[in-house]
Amino acid sequence: MSTLTKNSREGSAETSAGTAIFAQDLSKAYRIYDKPIHRLYELVLPGKKLHREFWAVRNVYLDIARGSTVGIIGENGAGKSSLLKLLTGITQPTTGSVKVQGRVASLLELGAGFHPEFSGRDNIKLNCSVLGMSDAEIAERYPKIVEFSELGDFIDRPVKTYSSGMYVRLGFSVAASVDPDILLIDEALSVGDEHFRGKCINRLNDFRDQGKTIIFVSHDMGAVKSMCQWVVLMDKGEILEQGTAEKVADEYLKRAKARGNERMSAINRGTSAYPRWGSGEIEVTDVDMLGGDGQPAHAFTTGEAFTVRLRWKAHQDTKEPVFGLGLYRSDGTYVNGSNHEWRDKPIHLRDVKAGESGEVEMSAGALQLLQGQYYLTTFVYEHAKASPTAIDHREHVHTFEVIDPRRLQHGMLFLNSRWTVRRRKDGAVTSEESPS
Amino acid sequence: MLALARSLSRNRRLLGDFVVRDLRGRYIGSSMGFFWSVVYPFLNLFIYMFVFGLVLKVRFSDEVNKGQVALWMLAGITVWAAFGETISRSTNTLVENQNLIQKVVFPSEILPSFLCISSLINMCIGLPIVILGVLVFVNFPNLLGDPLPLAPLTDPAKEMSMPPLGLGWSLLALPLLMALQAIFTVGIGYFLAALNLFLRDVYHLMGVFVTVWMFATPIFYPPQKVVMEGYGWILAVNPMHWLISCYREVLIFGAWPDWLLLAKFAAIGVVLLFLGSRFFLWQKPQFPDLL
Repeated sequence: MSTLTKNSREGSAETSAGTAIFAQDLSKAYRIYDKPIHRLYELVLPGKKLHREFWAVRNVYLDIARGSTVGIIGENGAGKSSLLKLLTGITQPTTGSVKVQGRVASLLELGAGFHPEFSGRDNIKLNCSVLGMSDAEIAERYPKIVEFSELGDFIDRPVKTYSSGMYVRLGFSVAASVDPDILLIDEALSVGDEHFRGKCINRLNDFRDQGKTIIFVSHDMGAVKSMCQWVVLMDKGEILEQGTAEKVADEYLKRAKARGNERMSAINRGTSAYPRWGSGEIEVTDVDMLGGDGQPAHAFTTGEAFTVRLRWKAHQDTKEPVFGLGLYRSDGTYVNGSNHEWRDKPIHLRDVKAGESGEVEMSAGALQLLQGQYYLTTFVYEHAKASPTAIDHREHVHTFEVIDPRRLQHGMLFLNSRWTVRRRKDGAVTSEESPS
Repeated sequence: MLALARSLSRNRRLLGDFVVRDLRGRYIGSSMGFFWSVVYPFLNLFIYMFVFGLVLKVRFSDEVNKGQVALWMLAGITVWAAFGETISRSTNTLVENQNLIQKVVFPSEILPSFLCISSLINMCIGLPIVILGVLVFVNFPNLLGDPLPLAPLTDPAKEMSMPPLGLGWSLLALPLLMALQAIFTVGIGYFLAALNLFLRDVYHLMGVFVTVWMFATPIFYPPQKVVMEGYGWILAVNPMHWLISCYREVLIFGAWPDWLLLAKFAAIGVVLLFLGSRFFLWQKPQFPDLL
């Protein structure tokens, strides 16, 4: 839902003309009490401290120029939403100050304050008046809001009968009708269908083109990068880094990979539960994935070089073992399968004796997978017989995550594509190419 | 208190919208709609008439007939309903509207006020019924039968007589009574609303508290009875008793209220509103953190 703070808060004399938001030494501590009653004790017995402090935002300096689009990214709990509430003026800072120039609207939650029993129509009116619009403004914008929401006949039905998507549409329509100088958005757009999301993004682009200041909070690097020139990276309540989208994205990615590694290795510690079968002459003891730098990793970037390495040990003699790898997306979609024999230049492994050991590696110059979670299955099969039989088949041995910071393509697979656009006009042909 | 008044007047449109929403929301979806505002006090009246009149045999005096007793109770019920409803709803109103308080720059001080206005408007639907009842019983005093057909009270000294029903110019005092009631009610409402954020148990206690207070106020029994039993001090410290007896004077006896009593009530109301709104506005910046 959104908010309008009508006049500039805390005066405007000290800030320069080009500044929309200026935050100085901004910190917010939430008080945590072991028992609710302690809060009351503290109120009636001043000077007694019964709480612990949790610093949601710490020492934040922000100088946001008018007309800029700024993204704030960080993990869950990094303090993004708390910062946004401080900037909006919903909560009061513990230390420091915020100076805001212009009307602020914030989309912290769409449709907050809707009354379920009332129709969409009634809720629009009430919501507008909560946002601080005058009667004349409401009358003027009302038809546009109804049209934007695309709710059709549902506009006259109680909001409680709406689907969650319709609810969000109504909320955004009201919020989008506000005409602020500064718009603060908290991941409100991650809901709704593709069509409506497109409309929302168009609306935001309109705002941007009108020279309005937009502050956009998200943990989705792709969304932030597509919207914002300037990005602020937050962690544990502090600003870790701020700068151009490219610069901060790299830092964010490094951290995301580190986090992905942690998460994935935790998952991999628990993978022994998946099925494993075979006659057992050869055992795959370890499965590792190495990143472009040759170090073991669990999180990769799209386009990065990678290697899968299996360590094996033979317990009995085997005639013609073949090692293979299967690659699956987390939902079970089979992405790729290969082995070292079925190749233009096959590697034949013959007459392996008990007690031998070694490694098998499969590497590729570029991991052509898009963002998502994937896993590996390893196969060792005896190919000497008419139909191969399993020696050591291990399902789901290794889980890894792919992070795609650029989000240029969608789906599962990155295609190293080239695009050509040709146009004919008055007999002349012009053509433009985007090489791969 | 001035800060509160300024803020309420600045946000009067929003306040109005909330009142309208609340009044419509009360009975939206119910088939009888606003009719419930009329039915509800009557249902209460019948229940209490049954319990106090027939079962417990609370009697006023030999001369007082059932119609008088019914109106006497109805006036009390109607006024109390508005008061009790406002203070118990006010207690939880910040919690109920936490969405607005946490996500929007929202003038939370309108919340207890809109509840009070809404229930006073609701009360205004009930009051004409009391007045109508007075008109009926003035013309047909024995519509509900004679004074209760019981053995006469043995001790005439203990009789709790009641002046005859009547209507008069004193009805003009109603707006004043309602204004004072609003000040008193909303003062308590502000205090409880803010206090509930520190101690959520307050809301649960309110259910009991309002009931106890209601029975400590002579709504269903003659006040003289309390005095005779030696609990007169309860009436002496209960501003709601003062208010309700003023309402009765005006509504059913056609007399002007006891101005001294009313002045005492007004003084207490102003003090409560001062303290309540001070406490509320003092803690208001913290509300989003407390929810």
